[in-house]
Amino acid sequence: MIFDIYIVDLRIMSLQRKLQVWKMGIVNYLDALQLQQKLCSDRKTGKIPDTILSLQHPPTYTLGKRRTSHNLLVPEADLKNIGAELHYTERGGDITFHGPRQAVVYPIISLRDIGLGARKYVETLELAMIELASLYGVIARPGGKCETGVWVGDEKIGAIGVKISLGITCHGLAFNIDPDLNYFNHIVPCGILDKGVTSLRRETRLDLPADEVIQKELIQCLARLLRYDAIEWREDESYLFEVYGIK
Amino acid sequence: MASRMLWASRAACHLRISLFRRGFASVIEHFKYADSHEWADVDGTYAKIGITDHAQDHLGDVVYVELPEVGATVTKGKNFGAVESVKATSDVYAPVSGDIVEVNTKLSDSPGLINASPYKDGWIIKVQISDSTELKSLMDSEQYTNFCEEEDAKH
Repeated sequence: MIFDIYIVDLRIMSLQRKLQVWKMGIVNYLDALQLQQKLCSDRKTGKIPDTILSLQHPPTYTLGKRRTSHNLLVPEADLKNIGAELHYTERGGDITFHGPRQAVVYPIISLRDIGLGARKYVETLELAMIELASLYGVIARPGGKCETGVWVGDEKIGAIGVKISLGITCHGLAFNIDPDLNYFNHIVPCGILDKGVTSLRRETRLDLPADEVIQKELIQCLARLLRYDAIEWREDESYLFEVYGIK
Repeated sequence: MASRMLWASRAACHLRISLFRRGFASVIEHFKYADSHEWADVDGTYAKIGITDHAQDHLGDVVYVELPEVGATVTKGKNFGAVESVKATSDVYAPVSGDIVEVNTKLSDSPGLINASPYKDGWIIKVQISDSTELKSLMDSEQYTNFCEEEDAKH
């Protein structure tokens, strides 16, 4: 009898939805992309659980699958002079900028396991950023049709660009804590003319804690919305790079 | 819970989507279906391929379709293209292997056909089937309907 209960206990434990979160520092865009591809591959075969990378990038512009390079307003050659890189990706969405003080979150998770489609997943990413903003008294909202992302008034505070392959996600979201917004002047952000960008720093009246705290809160919002039962936090990014042969 | 529902309805309003979705998406009886939500309309040695009503509903408004070239080969279970919706690109997988004989080029200008008419005007490619035994592993409309219901129940 007790043996039966023990077996049931173990089954319940294994039914728990676990999330592994890697808290990383500033990671070069291509290194992060390579890492995601390998993690995605391992997630597809079930080698690793649902995983999230939480990091920031050095100044980087990226384009999505549609290659909308007309939304880059300066010659590509000039980007080096302003200390930025440009990369072409397979994610959805238009051109965007990543840089220090911007929280970047890359969930590598199985949507099939939770029966979520692309639309619902993206809505959940939006909700997580909206909830985070509300922790600092900022009222953000999702965009209108064809304006995926998170807005404060007419200015964008959070962007989304995702790729889904065999039901596994990669790329993800970027939330402006306090990046240098001047970098956005060189692009038409997300291809949407006449709408600007903003940051948590600009919108809140509260003192902001360290980025690390805000990034953790963002992950917690997302984990709760995606109904994970347990989060395992990892900080040894060098281990991750070593295992996957990055750098 | 109530505040979340209120929130969700506000968000839905902004996103211009209906909260009151149908209980299940439509299927076409004589089509075959893959568990990655593509359909195959088999006609002799040819098959037209697209994504299902369930798939387009879960994707949201399709804004871009990455189409393969005529003459390319597709392999069952491997991706042959992609669709983009709501800032997400999702791969599309071949339910059967074969050579592409026709591509729906209308999707380049009108990607929304996939949402509006997933089984007819939103077809993606037509292939000459290379191995008809592969069809046996596809689901029929009833099996696919049950499959969708089970998947949706997970959430």
